[in-house]
Amino acid sequence: MLSLRSALRNTCSLRTLGTQSRLLSSTSLQNKSTYRTPDFGDYVRPQGTDDKSRVFTYFTVGSLGLLSAAGAKSTVEAFLTTMSASADVLAMAKVEVGLAAIPEGKNVVVKWQGKPVFIRHRTQGEIDEANKVDINALRDPQQDSDRAQNPEWLIMLGICTHLGCVPIGEAGDFGGWFCPCHGSHYDISGRIRKGPAPLNLEIPQYQFDGDNLVIG
Amino acid sequence: MSFYTNIYNSLIKRNSIFVGTIFAGAFAFQGFFDVAVTNFYENHNKGKLWKDIKGKYLEGGDDEEGDDEDDE
Repeated sequence: MLSLRSALRNTCSLRTLGTQSRLLSSTSLQNKSTYRTPDFGDYVRPQGTDDKSRVFTYFTVGSLGLLSAAGAKSTVEAFLTTMSASADVLAMAKVEVGLAAIPEGKNVVVKWQGKPVFIRHRTQGEIDEANKVDINALRDPQQDSDRAQNPEWLIMLGICTHLGCVPIGEAGDFGGWFCPCHGSHYDISGRIRKGPAPLNLEIPQYQFDGDNLVIG
Repeated sequence: MSFYTNIYNSLIKRNSIFVGTIFAGAFAFQGFFDVAVTNFYENHNKGKLWKDIKGKYLEGGDDEEGDDEDDE
């Protein structure tokens, strides 16, 4: 104990600090350990040897990494594909209607994804009537050309935008559709004109395929 | 420089290149593996698959050559 204290005093005293080696010196001579180290020269790989064993080790590690990466990728892919629509859903998602059988001035209702879809073959008089309306006076202003790709054919979801009843065709004050539940009147373009409904009848996605109409 | 030293210096020395090689290899491996497994499966079940027996059930099916294969 006594010797430890005196040794501590010795190293800490200013006089001895000057003669001692500097602690933070970075010259290699000062850093050189005074311990005797064994000679590893026999075990050091001689210069110019090829890296066969090292490459083999890394190749093994890399192959495991490759397999796990491929496995992780297909796991994620399998999980993501469960989110896409299955074939039976896709098969039900479209409805094809032959338009040749629908005479001018007639309504047809088809079922699409469990919802009624109104198809009306409009006469020229009805098209003119739909275009004549001043859209600024409407509750949900929309041009007739925005609602019908082909003015002859009006295709829309037959669900009242108020509370979801199915409107009656060729009825109401505006010659279009009338919802019997709460008395919403739609015109010949399916736009809301009178009654509680806030919006025009919705237009589904559709395209014409020759004489057929594909909804969905 | 030997072959292995070349590999070590070009692919393994830098970790970014090593990992990048592994990922690129995973993509390539997956495509290869898919094709290999599909080929094996179709070879193993030859004559029982829908594309082999389709001609027997569809009038419009023009691939009648599938018929002679399921006699084995």
